[in-house]
Amino acid sequence: MTLLSSVTGRLTAAALSLAVALPAVAQETPQSGGVANVAIQPEPPGLMLPLVQNAPTQRVAGNIFEGLLRYDAELEPMPQLATSWEISDDGLTYTFHLHPDVTWHDGEAFSAADVVFSADVFLRETNPRTRAILDHVASIEAPDDETVVFTLKQPFPAFIQAFEVGTLPIVPKHLYEGTDFYNNPANNHPIGTGPFEFAKWDRGSVIELDKNPDYYEAGKPYLDKIYWHVIPDAASRAAAYENGTLNIMPAGSVENFDIPRLAGMDGSCMTEAGNEYFNPFAMLWLNNREGPTADKRFRQAVMYALDRDFAKNVLWNGLGKVPNGPFSSTLAAHDDDLQPYPYDPDKAEELLDEMGYDGEPVRLLPLPYGETWTRWAEAVRQNLEDVGINIETESSDVAGWNQKVSDWDYDIAFTYLFQYGDPSLGIARTYVSSNIAKGSPWNNVEGYENPEIDKLFAAAAVENDADKRQAMYDQIQQTLHEDVPLAWIMELAQPTIYRCNVHDLITTGIGLNDGFKNAWIEQ
Amino acid sequence: MNFFKRFAQNRGALVGLVILGLVVLLALLAPFLYPDSPWRMVQRPFLAPGEVSGFWLGTDVMGRDVAAGLAHGAWVSLLIGLISTVVALAIGVPLGALAGYFGGKIDDALMRFTEFFQTIPNFALAIVLVAIMEPSTFSIVLAIAIVSWPPVARLVRGEFLSIKHREYVEAARLVGQTHRDIIIKQILPNTLSPVIVLASLMVATAILLESSLSFLGLGDPDTMSWGYMIGAARTVMRQAWWLSVIPGVAILLTVLALNLVGEGLDDALNPQLARAR
Amino acid sequence: MAYVSLILGRVGKAVIVLLAILVFNFFLIHAAPGDPAAVMAGEAGATDQQFLDDLRERFGLDQPLPVQLWRYMSGVLQLDFGYSYRQQMPVLDLILDRLPATLLLTGAAFCISLLFGIIAGTLAAMRAKRPSGSIIMGLALLFYATPLYWVAMMAVLVFSVTLDWLPAYGYSTVGADYTGLAHVGDVAVHLMLPALTLGLFFMAVYTRMTRTSMLSVSQQDFVKTARAKGLAPGVIQRRHILRNALLPIITLAGLQAGQMVGGAVLTETVFAWPGIGRLMYEALMQRDYNLLLGIFFFCALLVILFNMLTDVIYRLADPRIKQGAT
Repeated sequence: MTLLSSVTGRLTAAALSLAVALPAVAQETPQSGGVANVAIQPEPPGLMLPLVQNAPTQRVAGNIFEGLLRYDAELEPMPQLATSWEISDDGLTYTFHLHPDVTWHDGEAFSAADVVFSADVFLRETNPRTRAILDHVASIEAPDDETVVFTLKQPFPAFIQAFEVGTLPIVPKHLYEGTDFYNNPANNHPIGTGPFEFAKWDRGSVIELDKNPDYYEAGKPYLDKIYWHVIPDAASRAAAYENGTLNIMPAGSVENFDIPRLAGMDGSCMTEAGNEYFNPFAMLWLNNREGPTADKRFRQAVMYALDRDFAKNVLWNGLGKVPNGPFSSTLAAHDDDLQPYPYDPDKAEELLDEMGYDGEPVRLLPLPYGETWTRWAEAVRQNLEDVGINIETESSDVAGWNQKVSDWDYDIAFTYLFQYGDPSLGIARTYVSSNIAKGSPWNNVEGYENPEIDKLFAAAAVENDADKRQAMYDQIQQTLHEDVPLAWIMELAQPTIYRCNVHDLITTGIGLNDGFKNAWIEQ
Repeated sequence: MNFFKRFAQNRGALVGLVILGLVVLLALLAPFLYPDSPWRMVQRPFLAPGEVSGFWLGTDVMGRDVAAGLAHGAWVSLLIGLISTVVALAIGVPLGALAGYFGGKIDDALMRFTEFFQTIPNFALAIVLVAIMEPSTFSIVLAIAIVSWPPVARLVRGEFLSIKHREYVEAARLVGQTHRDIIIKQILPNTLSPVIVLASLMVATAILLESSLSFLGLGDPDTMSWGYMIGAARTVMRQAWWLSVIPGVAILLTVLALNLVGEGLDDALNPQLARAR
Repeated sequence: MAYVSLILGRVGKAVIVLLAILVFNFFLIHAAPGDPAAVMAGEAGATDQQFLDDLRERFGLDQPLPVQLWRYMSGVLQLDFGYSYRQQMPVLDLILDRLPATLLLTGAAFCISLLFGIIAGTLAAMRAKRPSGSIIMGLALLFYATPLYWVAMMAVLVFSVTLDWLPAYGYSTVGADYTGLAHVGDVAVHLMLPALTLGLFFMAVYTRMTRTSMLSVSQQDFVKTARAKGLAPGVIQRRHILRNALLPIITLAGLQAGQMVGGAVLTETVFAWPGIGRLMYEALMQRDYNLLLGIFFFCALLVILFNMLTDVIYRLADPRIKQGAT
């Protein structure tokens, strides 16, 4: 395998030189003024973040709306709308003290009533993910205008991770109470408390955000304006960054093959920070119900057959991480001792022989999210065909992919899932049998059923003792690692490329989705 | 052998025929020249042409042999071009023939139907059809055929209209031949030459259309076509221009050759016009 | 009177064709896997049955297909094209918002291609036996055979990235807020590359047609007569040959003008031109049924309008054509 190692060597060297090129954290004082020109892809369907949860919406509207908390790179909570908070010793009562001087963009005062309305009424109705988290909550109350108290039904230690802007954005009660949320005129001109205000949206071209002059954190934000440029073609986006029209390229707006070139330009910087909270985890759904994939040996063979390092080095430019098991390495509960499945085609063939695989065709459904994913599916197909698996690639667009995965109409399918900072928020949903239901591409789609795992996840979620909890999560990881309910292929990196005169762009574990409150441009 | 002489007089057509012959040869020899799958990753990615011996056109983003892709792609592109043209002819010729031969209400209804398909923008319809049937060689061929048959129907109808009152057709009718025999044995053979010319151009258009669909990501994921190769190379055009230029030139040459041959056929089959040139 | 009833008849037929297209596309689009609710749920990154049911109910997708078709068609008959599920705006607003950009692009490309195509074709016909004529035809053939999107990519590479003469994408300079003439100039600069690349292919088509058409007309009897009368060659070229040779080109151009609007997807994608072709592609991918149907309706409408317009021009150009001939 000299061929491969030389690739690895070359790319790693490139990645290293990039890392060196990164500037030391800027120590100068921030300057006001300047404009951020950011690529956004695809165009968001709307900017009312509490209603629309897709990625581009979060990215733009994270500047307009705010949550009670932000999270640093270690996922420790930091103040935002809440200046301080307490959790009772029994883990049942969460008390938040709100910032006193906050106003909505339309001038109305913000108060605890807005928080109660958002969590208890609005998001329970509109947001399926938040709804699931709020199932743990017995009551939400506002004893006064600056205090909110959440009372839980049972301890749920992950609850403190659920207050970022994408999960629990605060909605203006005075505009939405008693209205039809989906047809409220304010949806087209969203009103939040964030550092930037909605200004204008030329559909198909650009979204314009203006500085919020009355922002409650003195001196912030520093930027005068943010333009989000809608450019559907990746090569055109790259050209726009090169000629200086754009100065910030969020993850996903640059094709992977182009990253080294753009990041290596003079005055161009790259960072992988801001990825800690979501930490997208790429996987292959393996249909546990029927066909060859129902056999554990077949699924293990898939793990041995995949050359995951090749994919990482060639397709992802060496960025990202090959996982050792079901938990991503940024999670506190990650078991570092787990040994990853090595690339071992012989072992894979052995397992296939042992189970008596007879060449039955296996369908592979790629993720229709652009060139890298298409290439990745081609590499996986090649890996699997090399050990004798008969692969038929199915092609479909996003809608078709959703439909097939939701209806369990696949054998092997690409996907990636967010981690949301805690196994009970981001991981349990993929493995517990109570989460098997047609209609969603994000639940236990593979159909894995293991009562022991169900019990462990349920117990760990409500276990207030950190050591006991960790023991359960270790157990879970070992069992899943052996059973291979699905194939874990990569922890994706989310590189942001930007002009080096943009400082403090990413200051939290939520990255660009947390808004440009601290960003400033050196003039 | 008037036909061949006239065809040979057109130098462009001869050049076209030679190029086309080479492409066909490449397509036929692909399984022997490159017996391995063109998808196989065989060397380092991004080898420039000639950088490593044995890979005279270099390798692509995943280390696959571009020459192998080009050879197998020739087969796929030609096949998609040919089959979709045949399907389009199979729809267009009978419809045009019936409309032109019977005229009246049948003509009216069939032409409405044709107009209907001409009113929906071609490329848009092709995209929708492929997206709905999900990209595969079958759906691509069908979509291309569906958007390209109307001109055939119109052409054949026009020819039928002008021929059906000729003496030999009237004679056949008097002798008591069935409509079917008259259409197939008497009129159809005499409409062939313009149809052949149109068909040669349609193959060219179909190859372009397939490559455009692939460029948008609507190609068959299991076949290596030239359009796929350009689409896949698009994101690395700045680092590895040859990856998009090589299949691009292949498409260009093939389409060019088909057009030249088409013109030559036109000259050879329609001598009155040829003299005008 | 005959003329009026002819026009009325054609309008009637056009309306029927348009409605048939809507019904056809309605079933076509609903045959695609997935629906807008599934797409939106998929994009949200989390979903449950309640979320999907809510969406489907709001969009009316919980109704049987015939009911949905009936609702949609009765809306259209009152010129109500419905609501875009995804963009949360009336379909008509969205389309009217994007239509001008597409009309500008295709209009410019159309004029460029027609003008230069006819000039080049005429030159090629006049120099049919000389090398310069062959060179023109060679170039035309080359443009004709080159994939459009490929030319577009190359043009960006050369003129925007390498030479930095023209903007690579977009409709106008973001944030410049030009007004009046400055705005017009700004848009014109942005229009240059997309219009040229889109026009190139059609220019090749018209060049070839003009030449063929002129050569065949020049063999006809009335031209020979004109020559025999001793008219100057230039006059013959202009008055007799070109005028008659243009007729088939008008027909073709009319057909293509309508097609261009829907066919600009590739150009609009590469150049991020905020037009209707791109909107169509996005609507298709997002299964935004109402929006997609609306766009198809407008594209078809444009095709029909251009066909009618072509007819009128044809009649003006060639008075020999009598009513009733199609």
